[in-house]
Amino acid sequence: MKQRGPNLLEREGTRSVLASMISIIIGMLVGSILILIMGLSNSSLGLSSAWDGIRLVFGGLFSTGRSASGALTWGFNSTSIGNMLFRATPLIMTGLSVAVAFKTGLFNIGAPGQYLMGTAASLIIALGIPSETVPAGLIWLLAFLGGALAGAIWGAIPGMLKAFLNINEVLACIMTNWIAANLVTWVFDGSNYRNLVENTKSAYIYKTAYNNVATPKLGLDAIFPNSQVNGGIIIAVVLAVLVYILMTKTTLGYELKACGSNRHAARYAGINDKRNIVLSMAIAGALSGIAASLYYLSGNTEFFWATYQSLPATGFNGIPVALLAVNHPIGVIFTGCFMSMLDIVGLQLTNLTAYNEYITDVIISVIVYLSAFSLVIKMMLTKRGKKGKTPTRTAGDAPAQTAEKGGESA
Amino acid sequence: MQAENIIEMLHITKEFPGIVANDDITLQLRRGEIHALLGENGAGKSTLMSVLFGLYQPEKGEIRKNGQVVKINDPNDATALGIGMVHQHFKLIDVFTVLDNIILGAETTKLGFLQKKEARKKVQALSERYGLKVDLDAKVEDITVGMQQRVEILKMLYRDNEILIFDEPTAVLTPQEIDELMDIMREFAKEGKSILFISHKLNEIMAVSDRVTVLRKGKYIGTVDTKDTDKQALSNMMVGRPVQLEVVKDPAKPGDVVLQVEDLTVPSHLHKRNAVNHVSFEARAGEILCIAGIDGNGQSELIYGLTGLEKASHGKVTLCGKDISHASIRRRGENMSHIPEDRHKHGLVLDFTLEQNLVLQKYREPRFQHNGFIDRGAVRQYAQQLIEQYDVRSGQGPVTIARSMSGGNQQKAIIAREVDRDLPLIVAVQPTRGLDVGAIEYIHSQLVAERDKGKAVLLVSLELDEVMSLSDRILVMYEGEIVGELDPKATTVQELGLYMAGAKRMGKEAERA
Repeated sequence: MKQRGPNLLEREGTRSVLASMISIIIGMLVGSILILIMGLSNSSLGLSSAWDGIRLVFGGLFSTGRSASGALTWGFNSTSIGNMLFRATPLIMTGLSVAVAFKTGLFNIGAPGQYLMGTAASLIIALGIPSETVPAGLIWLLAFLGGALAGAIWGAIPGMLKAFLNINEVLACIMTNWIAANLVTWVFDGSNYRNLVENTKSAYIYKTAYNNVATPKLGLDAIFPNSQVNGGIIIAVVLAVLVYILMTKTTLGYELKACGSNRHAARYAGINDKRNIVLSMAIAGALSGIAASLYYLSGNTEFFWATYQSLPATGFNGIPVALLAVNHPIGVIFTGCFMSMLDIVGLQLTNLTAYNEYITDVIISVIVYLSAFSLVIKMMLTKRGKKGKTPTRTAGDAPAQTAEKGGESA
Repeated sequence: MQAENIIEMLHITKEFPGIVANDDITLQLRRGEIHALLGENGAGKSTLMSVLFGLYQPEKGEIRKNGQVVKINDPNDATALGIGMVHQHFKLIDVFTVLDNIILGAETTKLGFLQKKEARKKVQALSERYGLKVDLDAKVEDITVGMQQRVEILKMLYRDNEILIFDEPTAVLTPQEIDELMDIMREFAKEGKSILFISHKLNEIMAVSDRVTVLRKGKYIGTVDTKDTDKQALSNMMVGRPVQLEVVKDPAKPGDVVLQVEDLTVPSHLHKRNAVNHVSFEARAGEILCIAGIDGNGQSELIYGLTGLEKASHGKVTLCGKDISHASIRRRGENMSHIPEDRHKHGLVLDFTLEQNLVLQKYREPRFQHNGFIDRGAVRQYAQQLIEQYDVRSGQGPVTIARSMSGGNQQKAIIAREVDRDLPLIVAVQPTRGLDVGAIEYIHSQLVAERDKGKAVLLVSLELDEVMSLSDRILVMYEGEIVGELDPKATTVQELGLYMAGAKRMGKEAERA
């Protein structure tokens, strides 16, 4: 038996990263082409604004505005980077939620519903417990845990339907999403949490800062001044690492993956497959619930409570975040940041050019579309790797190939 | 017979990452002969045939047809050279009709329209000529496996192939279908077609082939005339050492009752009757008790009921003195190891690595985990020990993905895992299905060794040879009931067959006795 360590290019992980990078680059190129077409076909834009737009798509995060002469200026933009991290926080969490479920063989399309339930629970606790009598830090913690719990319960419902009645979790998740959307509207409609102080705003509830509850900044505001960033991103990163440890290093992760990969074999080995399916969905739900907690407990974010006609995009965006990361919990940190970076790019386009932020929606859509293909791209990369090994059709090449092989196996 | 070789594969070498699948192999196929290619699982038979069929490109060596060097880059080239192949797993489109499947890729068209009438005529003529009965308008998903194989054969004939490759064609067939296939192959050879027959079943090779080429671990061992050799010599060549075709074992010394089954009833998913109907028996320490019977007579369900994979509706199961009738699978597993019938469904998590699979039953033991964290070092060490001890071969050792291993080695891994649990009862369901002689010998000797250590072995087998040679006591199941208890030393295959077919059954009194 010959053994040899695969070189860097042959390694599974390398290929995954490469496949995702290719999806991202193609997405951004498509966006650039669109910008170019729009620029050339619109007399008010022209080639130079198209060039500005394209540069912003790739480097919008580091744009600092325009100089007096009207040229784009670049540099460290603490607001953009801080806001990117802030917006990445819930995306990382919903991405983790989807990734955990995927790893255990389940498709958690219920992240939006779990996110909504987490939002409702967090806000009710954060606004409902008076901070005059209870320390704000404790309220924050309770609200955080409440959001996680609400998400977990909401995730466990499709899990139980799957485990005990064999109802497809995708269907159940779609149902629970809309139930959550209507339930949340119903709970807040007529409640005391509606923001009636700022009467320019309808259907928003109070920011948690109203009750002095806000996620601590943990010094991040010093690094990224003038941004919304807070300690939430650190919590998200820590949770991603914890999820990674859970899935790869623990017996629980082993059981969950065994169930996801082959439910029959798991049952054969005495693993309680039903319990694990429910547990896996509950964990996924809790992560989505935490996404909501971390976003809305920041103190400055407002929740639009009349959600019954739409589901939060943050929930659904967890799917491309997870796909792009090939369901790797650590990868999710980076893909989550990337997706929120596109948000920032959208803002920069709107602020600095005549383009609007919708161009980034196109880019996101293309990437989402391609991320579903990242497996295909990965397969193509694998094939390429193999093709390099097999001799080409001319006979003369064969000995050279074998020599190369010999060298590798040595 | 003409001495001329129609196909020559000279010094073929094909490597895969971590393994040399074919190492300087030479195969010469004469016109009009049936040439068997014999080797254990993983010996490189299928790889060699895939090279011939253009699915793989060899690193070294050349292929000649009628003495001319040819280059086969893909299956289309192979077809153009008259090479056809029946794959082990059929390549048919389930929702197409038989006729559509046969003409697929070689359609006769006029102005872009299919000319099915001509095709139908040609297929009908072929099917009559060789007695290959098929229903041309049936969908493939609705016909039997045997008929699907005939469709594959007709596909080759329709393309006027003269070199026919059969990759383990008998694995999926009933004994009658195997006989028919042998006749058809002889008929082809008589007409001058040349056949390559891949198998590891010695009986079939002795019955049908003219010459045999033996491969072992990717290497060419030799080519012999079938009439000058015998089963023992062939299996020695294949395995590389003298093989015991017969099981060697001392008489059993049955001890205490380990497993007692009383009145066990398991409902069926397929029909309203019970799959297992009020079955009672006991298995003792130090004996191999075999449940014989034709497939589908409730053996699988009996095992599901015992192991807890399915709920029994009635009855009592006592294992090592404990009533486990309603116990969880995990609790039953405290005293019972289980080599499952379906190694892909139950036996392995195919996407896990070999080492992860080897601890599937043990990962919760304190030596493999501390406070819920898996001790990877301990797992690796244990896996390496089992791999060595049970000679489980794989491309990358403990980190090989189970899916990429050969069937025989997958089964060895399961056997290693289950036997090493060292529990009083071993339930083994068709442990040698689809395996080659070397692996079968190995598994049989393991089971006998466990018996001699005082374990109770409950064996379910469909192979009469295995039942007769391995077991110490035979229970025959027919339609969910135990219809006979036989002593393998005092009975014959014929008598066993009568019980299995339901033609004979013992009275209730005799069964108790």
